[in-house]
Amino acid sequence: MPIVLDSVTYTYGQGTPFEKQALTGISLTINEGEFIGIIGHTGSGKSTLVQHLNGLLHPTEGQVTVNGINLADKTEEAKQSRHMVGMVFQYPEHQLFEETIAKDIAFGPTNLGLTQEEIEQRVKDAMDFVGLDYKTYADRSPFHLSGGQMRRVAIAGVVAMKPKYLVLDEPSAGLDPAGREEIFAEIMRLHKEQGVTVILVSHNMEDISKMATRLLVIDDGKVLLDGKPIDIFMKYRETLQKAGVDVPPVSQLTAYLNQRGLPVSEEAITVDDVVASIESLKKR
Amino acid sequence: MELEEMQTREREPMIVVSRMSHSYEDEMGNQVKALDQINLTINKGEFVAIIGTNGSGKSTLAKHFNVLLEPTEGTVSVLGMDTKDEEKLWGIRSHVGMVFQNPDNQIVAAIVEEDVAFGPENLGVPPAEIRKRVDKALDVVGMQAYRHHAPHLLSGGQKQRIAIAGVLAMNPDCIVLDEPTAMLDPMGRKDVLKTVHALHKEEHMTVVYITHFMDEAMTADRIVVMKNGHILQEGRPADIFKQVESLKELGLDVPVAAEVADKLRKDGYAIAEGIVTDKELGDALCLSY
Repeated sequence: MPIVLDSVTYTYGQGTPFEKQALTGISLTINEGEFIGIIGHTGSGKSTLVQHLNGLLHPTEGQVTVNGINLADKTEEAKQSRHMVGMVFQYPEHQLFEETIAKDIAFGPTNLGLTQEEIEQRVKDAMDFVGLDYKTYADRSPFHLSGGQMRRVAIAGVVAMKPKYLVLDEPSAGLDPAGREEIFAEIMRLHKEQGVTVILVSHNMEDISKMATRLLVIDDGKVLLDGKPIDIFMKYRETLQKAGVDVPPVSQLTAYLNQRGLPVSEEAITVDDVVASIESLKKR
Repeated sequence: MELEEMQTREREPMIVVSRMSHSYEDEMGNQVKALDQINLTINKGEFVAIIGTNGSGKSTLAKHFNVLLEPTEGTVSVLGMDTKDEEKLWGIRSHVGMVFQNPDNQIVAAIVEEDVAFGPENLGVPPAEIRKRVDKALDVVGMQAYRHHAPHLLSGGQKQRIAIAGVLAMNPDCIVLDEPTAMLDPMGRKDVLKTVHALHKEEHMTVVYITHFMDEAMTADRIVVMKNGHILQEGRPADIFKQVESLKELGLDVPVAAEVADKLRKDGYAIAEGIVTDKELGDALCLSY
């Protein structure tokens, strides 16, 4: 059940002096079970692109379909298809609004028209999933939590919708390294245990290289590169620089060591990979 | 500046924090000690990075440097002025400027140069002098070409440089930046860090730079590591980043080169200590290869 973008063009403020084409003829298939990383500099069009995946924006030209259903249709079917794609925005904790954590998480499922028991079950499951104890936290105000906990509540609210696809826009921005790892461990579990297809927009190349199975580089409203992250980081260093994005620190290091005449494997993704590769070259 | 003059200048303290604690009451009415017995001296002309996890007290500490907060116990003094002395408040703020995480929260005007002029205008600086300061500040941050633009149409990195220019136009001696790059893309991050280094080198500004990004922290003269309201360690980047495991336990990142060097050393390879950058690791490996 793929998401298919067919020649999608999007123009902001059409017919006004501020008209700007943000996306140009993008064709793309996102298959179930993928973990896709999306990178591109500010203004490249990546946020505009992901907002098409659940019908927050509809293409000016072309179409987006989920399982063959056009998201721009005004049918019940199209509405349900839009609900299959969950969206976690940047700084999602700014969108919390309810009096209690449980009510905030229940907001989405309630709008799906589920029964009270089903809603409660989903809230419990979602809180359990993001590691917030139901008994302790359900009736507390979300606004008295730490930044990292608030973000987990916001993610729980999306998880409770049981999306088949999950789009996350910079989910780790502003978190310290420990907080970042917690969030990503949760996303990885959603992907692995519940088979959720993940689309991750991030400036953090390290996170992308460790998790994503496929990488899209967006530049000037088009898909510039589409492939395995490590292949792209190895082969297209200059193209990436021109597009205003970085390669991960590990790839920067291996490229530099190669320049210095040390044939360290450029396929290394983690620090341990680099260490193993250096050790295979050197005698103790 | 003559070398000797620079050395004397660097030994003069800009900010002195002495046995300082800060407590506040949380929503439940409990006393929370955000900072506990902090001692720290930041000298004129220094570039100090402060690292630590969320909630370690970094931002609370920084807010004491221009009197957004006052100590509950102990003292903070800026160029010899006690921050608890109400008469010194504006004196202190004229010496120490602050830049925050979100550029959108710091920009007030609809045109870039008007935004930069906002601070000196409020200080009652004469218009001709304001003009000079705004031009200079925009030059320093490399945004002169955008002076007639609308700030909300700029990128995050550009907006943050405008916020820095706004602080510069107040002619401070010290600039405190609280995670200025957290919301920026890699290009914006590089531009902002480059701008801050230019302030430090060319304008001889004292810099206090709070960050979660270790590649930024390692460019400082000195790093202060905070945990649970305490200063855990301070030292040169090479000395801090050689303690790979304790930093990781704290929940902090370590530069990749430092981590690789540490693991090689543990596996019995002879690699020099104090490696932080890719170049230093390359040098060490080439030596023994």
